[in-house]
Amino acid sequence: MAEKLPDPQCLIVADADVLIRNALAEYLRHCGYKVFEAATSDEVIIALEEGAVKIDALLADAQLTGRYNAFELRLWVKDHFPDVEIVLAGSIDSAAKAAGHLCDEGPHLQRPYDPESVAAHIKRLLAATRRQDR
Amino acid sequence: MGAQTILVVEDEFLIRFMLADSLRDIGYEVLEAADGEEGFDILSSGQLVDLLVTDVRMPGGIDGMELTRRSKSLAPGRPVIVCSAHLFRSESHPADEFLAKPYTVAELANAIARLIGDPWQKSSQTHSA
Repeated sequence: MAEKLPDPQCLIVADADVLIRNALAEYLRHCGYKVFEAATSDEVIIALEEGAVKIDALLADAQLTGRYNAFELRLWVKDHFPDVEIVLAGSIDSAAKAAGHLCDEGPHLQRPYDPESVAAHIKRLLAATRRQDR
Repeated sequence: MGAQTILVVEDEFLIRFMLADSLRDIGYEVLEAADGEEGFDILSSGQLVDLLVTDVRMPGGIDGMELTRRSKSLAPGRPVIVCSAHLFRSESHPADEFLAKPYTVAELANAIARLIGDPWQKSSQTHSA
């Protein structure tokens, strides 16, 4: 009889920039995580309070906005969900690096590709949208 | 070749997650956007999007109808499914399918399959930019 696979570990990626959020979330899905994408701190709180799945870690942009800023959110999460690992990232490069570390710790214990390439991909997308804005 | 990519634009966080997660389970690649402006950022970024699913009423400067128009302007052949609780089918509107809320994931999946086929069908080359 086939062995039941364990439920995937769950993360929240929180970033106000959709291109950064999408790329980090996709990378972490390739690492084997189930990923919630949150645009604001309010959405992070909804994901945690909804409680349908256990959230293992939160990777949030240090510039996150919403009901709480990133640092207030960190305190709120530590207070209400002390088991959730919290990583605040201040730049695209540090966010990609943090995602790489989560990938190393993650369900598959291997990186599907280098986090540096995630950062480079994000920067290409952002440059493309800036060109469109001109 | 990768799976076909669907952009889901929905401001209700849990609905967006549930839709995206269900479509990923079916086998589609899914990009998520929390409002029309984020949706347009993705469409403008040059990422491949084979089909757009959008809510109508969303905060910010771009609602679902405007996003549909902009998507058709960028890629006329890319299908759009518009979902709303307050929906009137308009002959002048360029959306390809309308889904009235509440709808089931199965109804959405059927509408997607009618428009672009299964997840692994050859992409219709609807690069956005």
